[in-house]
Amino acid sequence: MTFTRSVDCFEFYDRAKKGQKTSQDDWDLMTIPMKAIELKQKYNLDFKNEFVPTDKGMMENLFKAGFEMLLECGIFCTDTSRVVKYTEDEIWDAINNVQKEFVLGTGRDAVNVRKRNVGDKRKPIVQGGPTGSPISEDMFMPVHLSYALEKEVDTIVNGVMMTVRGKPPIPGSPYEILAAKTEGRLIKTAAAMAGRPGIAI
Amino acid sequence: MAHYQGNSDIIMDEQMPIFGGYAGGIEETAIVDIATHINAFVMSNASWHLDGPVHIRWGSTNTRETLMIAGWTCATISEFTNMISGNQYYPCAGPCTEMCLLEASAQSMTDTSSGREILSGVAAAKGVVQDKTTGMEARMMGEVARATAGMEIEEVNRILDSLVKLYEKDYANAPEGKTFQECYDVATVTPTDEYVKVYEGARRKLEELGLVF
Repeated sequence: MTFTRSVDCFEFYDRAKKGQKTSQDDWDLMTIPMKAIELKQKYNLDFKNEFVPTDKGMMENLFKAGFEMLLECGIFCTDTSRVVKYTEDEIWDAINNVQKEFVLGTGRDAVNVRKRNVGDKRKPIVQGGPTGSPISEDMFMPVHLSYALEKEVDTIVNGVMMTVRGKPPIPGSPYEILAAKTEGRLIKTAAAMAGRPGIAI
Repeated sequence: MAHYQGNSDIIMDEQMPIFGGYAGGIEETAIVDIATHINAFVMSNASWHLDGPVHIRWGSTNTRETLMIAGWTCATISEFTNMISGNQYYPCAGPCTEMCLLEASAQSMTDTSSGREILSGVAAAKGVVQDKTTGMEARMMGEVARATAGMEIEEVNRILDSLVKLYEKDYANAPEGKTFQECYDVATVTPTDEYVKVYEGARRKLEELGLVF
């Protein structure tokens, strides 16, 4: 069915207020596991112990199963306990209109992120960093500097500073904001000290 | 989300499917992973999706099962869409250990070969111990990616099978490794000789398995 307009976060919000009600237990323990088993059987999915697939037919079946999972189950909004559903055309609209490339960082430190393919000869982008790991306040800058100094690293993914001015950044407290801003500033400083002030964070 | 969209920002939408969680086994979790990849671009108008299949028992993204979920999901997304996808690294072992570097290498090979655009890590020691990550793990992730790019898929699968066997028996007793302060001279931000030797050892093992740096 032709959709009225593309789905966005506003449309998602509206649907999350009026979609079908369900409980998180029903969603987690019934809807998702039952549908996953049903689709595995329907599409005869068997990865045959391969890490990277060589069977294109099986990959196509996996794509159909994943698409069908999203189409038939939708997304459960935990805030409203309602299910947000999309039509098939709305899903294809999003798939057909994704960004195929974008730039991260600025100046000489900018990198182009471009679509890769299976077996691609181009090296992927390396986003180096603690990836959400806990980092002490004292070590926060040098830890991130250790990544910025590596030429293999193209962009930085940050760790989490465990204290700011000696206090834990409790969610909802002013220290949370201070910690977030301090993290950004310290990583920017680390990047500049490594001679890569434009590296993306 | 409204702010990011209104500001024309690059939007990253993240989810980490759990192997052994509500979805169940390898194929079932991969189905959910495909669905959530697609959802990122419908719901959030994402620029890219950050993935991270993780093992419910070991809290790691580098197990045989989670690597298979990541490899199949990414290859399928790469084959049938133009979506850009990243993956997160959570090895069991800590920094300055061969196991940590080999775990990261296995995932880097899987990601690079399956068409992943962004490798994000490495959160050594499962990303839960303070100050247990360093730039050296990211260097290995990058060097292995460079070596893997363009390899035949069958050869990648063969090496991966041997590589994962080297560490998969040790999840319960994974070496804790060392903190950043113990791995580096903090004043000069230089890795210790000890870590450089561990790194060279891991690299040698990868070469013995057939990876050409």
